[in-house]
Amino acid sequence: MLNSQTAESVIDHALSLGADFAELFIEKNETNVVSTLSTEVQSVESGINFGIGLRLVYGNKVLYGYTNKTDKDELFRIASVLAAKDLRDPVSCTKSFNFNQMTDIHPAQKILSVDAEIESKVAYLMSADRAARAAGEKISQTRGSCMQREQRVEIYNSDGLHANDRRHYIRAHLTAIASDGGEQATGSWNDGGLLGWEIESSINPQQTGEAAARQALVNLTARPCPSGRMPVIIGNGFGGVIFHEACGHLLETTSVAKKASVFHDQMGEMIASSIVNAVDDGTMTNEWGSINIDDEGMATQRTQLIKDGQLTNFLVDRIGAQQTGFARSGSGRRESYKFAPASRMRNTFIEPGDAKLDVMIASIDKGIYASHMGGGSVQPGTGEFNFAVTEGYYIENGKIQYPVKAATLISTGPKVLKEISMIGQDFSLACGMCGSISGSVPTTVGQATLKVDDILVGGNA
Amino acid sequence: MGSSNMNTAQMAEQVLDQVMSAGAAGDLIIDEGETISLKARDGELEEYKVSSSRIFGLRVIKDGHIGTAYSEAVDADALKSLVGQALNNASFVKVESHENILPNSNYLKTDDELLCPQEQVSIDQKIQLALAIENRLATKEKVKNVPYNGVQDTFSQRHIFSSAGLNALTRSRMCTAYAYALVEDGEKNAMQGSSQVSRLFSELNPSLVIDKTYEKCIGLLDGKPIPSKHYDVIFDTECQVSVFGVFAMMFSGKTAKDGVNPMRDKIGSVIADSRLTIYDHPLNTDGFGYHLFDAEGTATEKSGLVIDGCLKTLIHNSATASYFGTNTTGHASRGPKSTLGVNLHQVEIASSSDDMSTLHSGEYLEVTDLAGLHSGANAISGNFSFGASGYLCQGGERIQAVRGITVAGNFYEMLNKISMIGNQQHWNEDRTALMPSIRFSDVAISG
Repeated sequence: MLNSQTAESVIDHALSLGADFAELFIEKNETNVVSTLSTEVQSVESGINFGIGLRLVYGNKVLYGYTNKTDKDELFRIASVLAAKDLRDPVSCTKSFNFNQMTDIHPAQKILSVDAEIESKVAYLMSADRAARAAGEKISQTRGSCMQREQRVEIYNSDGLHANDRRHYIRAHLTAIASDGGEQATGSWNDGGLLGWEIESSINPQQTGEAAARQALVNLTARPCPSGRMPVIIGNGFGGVIFHEACGHLLETTSVAKKASVFHDQMGEMIASSIVNAVDDGTMTNEWGSINIDDEGMATQRTQLIKDGQLTNFLVDRIGAQQTGFARSGSGRRESYKFAPASRMRNTFIEPGDAKLDVMIASIDKGIYASHMGGGSVQPGTGEFNFAVTEGYYIENGKIQYPVKAATLISTGPKVLKEISMIGQDFSLACGMCGSISGSVPTTVGQATLKVDDILVGGNA
Repeated sequence: MGSSNMNTAQMAEQVLDQVMSAGAAGDLIIDEGETISLKARDGELEEYKVSSSRIFGLRVIKDGHIGTAYSEAVDADALKSLVGQALNNASFVKVESHENILPNSNYLKTDDELLCPQEQVSIDQKIQLALAIENRLATKEKVKNVPYNGVQDTFSQRHIFSSAGLNALTRSRMCTAYAYALVEDGEKNAMQGSSQVSRLFSELNPSLVIDKTYEKCIGLLDGKPIPSKHYDVIFDTECQVSVFGVFAMMFSGKTAKDGVNPMRDKIGSVIADSRLTIYDHPLNTDGFGYHLFDAEGTATEKSGLVIDGCLKTLIHNSATASYFGTNTTGHASRGPKSTLGVNLHQVEIASSSDDMSTLHSGEYLEVTDLAGLHSGANAISGNFSFGASGYLCQGGERIQAVRGITVAGNFYEMLNKISMIGNQQHWNEDRTALMPSIRFSDVAISG
């Protein structure tokens, strides 16, 4: 996308201004989104993002600029503007570019640049809509979408790195709305991966529609949730969002280096219950949070974050490595050329255990089974988090009693890690978007169903 | 001719000529921006970011089918591809008889002196401000560090052209200073932040951000849960604006058209306490939600949404207005990457008669921080459950800092549980909403 002569001259120029390190990140990103409202195609949107990000590093200081233009003069101009306050004699010189052709470990077949397959996506969403409506008369509406994206990136840096990658993202989503008089409730389903529309063969529209409708119908009958401190069983798949938000972000050197993480000085310490093993893995074939190389050009890897409750690794990008001394983990990621890279999660999960759901439920006198979690937020400095339960049930005397609505789980990351007492076998992954300092990136969360002994449940019963 | 030699208007003309040649109508949004962003750490500049961007967003309507496409590449081939993509996308979409390109050939332009004032400020001055905020906060007692802080100066421009001849231009500038500090005292810690915006860099006041951030951190350091029960609650301005924002779709003509707005059939009905009056006031020049015209080029005006507790209107663009057989209210919204929607510009809640001492009488919970705003709310049902922090107060005095609680309820029911409305309005930090304090009764708090 940018010829190597131009790249070399821009990086040479940046180093001539005294930078310790210079990097060019070139990105072209095509996107297509098909959206439906019940039985009609609501919109088809498509577009192209293109731009170049230039990063200069002086010591621990990061200077970053970007442009939509590809000409050398514009890139020189940005480098000069960025370096204007830090000019000094050159301290390093560019090494010859060594093009590194990475093996594509996430092959895709039905890719966007060949065919957007709009008819096929519409047919899938229409089938899912029919399945949802067939699940109950109270399903009044569905909203569906298929998003496909093809991101090409090319990276040059002053260490002589020249790497590129082509990432194919696909994600399908359906929300069902159930209505009964003035009451309305929603249920949703989604799946995705780092592959093309061939995902169609593994996402059955009948199951898609039924899953969204089932949750909407359950929520329509849900009662206000009891509140207070109690044990909570957190469902598999997207239940892993709590670990992602409340613990994963605290293990990124983006917050560790600033000492804005409660775990910044706890490497090697027991930070979790001894049954907890947690991993962040960018190599999982065709998973939504996977990559071949990170956005700094390094091959991705599997990183064991917690082993038997002990903190074993952080997620480390180039600047994080420089600031903390920990080795890079292929975790430097960014939303687009508009962001400097930062240490970010990929596919992050708690490994499965051997407990059974019925045993977990039977062990609780009064508590909540949060079978499906929604989003939430976390305060990295303190680890305080807040997550919504999108499908939950009240447990009393070891049995599920009734579905509950408007429930929220509140605790802190360090506390909840130590309160995990049982981990099940039903491991699964779920995809989402993670927003942080370098923008919004695709990430996967995951776990088996697990039990937390004490957590604050917010409800309005 | 290559597009690199053309100005914005010429490129727009070229795109719209291609649209009309294909037998379609269309409008084109061109957003451009330049930003300088600075962050400090340990007394040094940590990040210095400069950016310039431009994006074209096209909407076409052909035989009642609507298609959109966008591009950040603007060479002649890219612009031709933009038109082709939008037309192709339209061919898959249902006929939408209510959505048309308005017959609006106006030339519109906002006041640059008002929205985009210029001044002589060097990059050194900006760097010094970023360093000063971090340094002055970091040296305060119990502050461990200031992990998130920064100063930004952003210039934005939006140009809208249509095949009917609309040419609408708005330029704006926003300068921002913000800081989040982490304070620690033994095992206790707290992290809070604040920000300030202004149109002139010289009007940024670092002391305002520093003092407010520090006060919020220290105030909550000793916070602990309170017993679960129903309390009277007063949200601070930031939180109150956020809560109303989460449920703003209750005013949307678009969600009403789509069948998911619970207020769809309640126009003319009482939906709130009779003292509640809500306007959208896009022409208040003191705010950053100021809009002279909407995304279709329709002139905006002050709209009464809820008057004395009665829902008076939903907000509309020309398409939702046509669907409901009414007139557009000047609330069309569209970004380069999105389809036509509706959006509130600048919400204003009218002040009422309750003075501070009345509003703050007896026991109540002052909520100063909310977490999980979007994940914890269902705008269709009105149910919500948010993490919260704040202060238990008695007669206007903060008697206990409160953390680790949730506030839960149903927003639409809460509008009828207003016990008092203050007599003074306050802007939120972003200056996009103007509201008095409202005291809600009987709100479920779990601790």
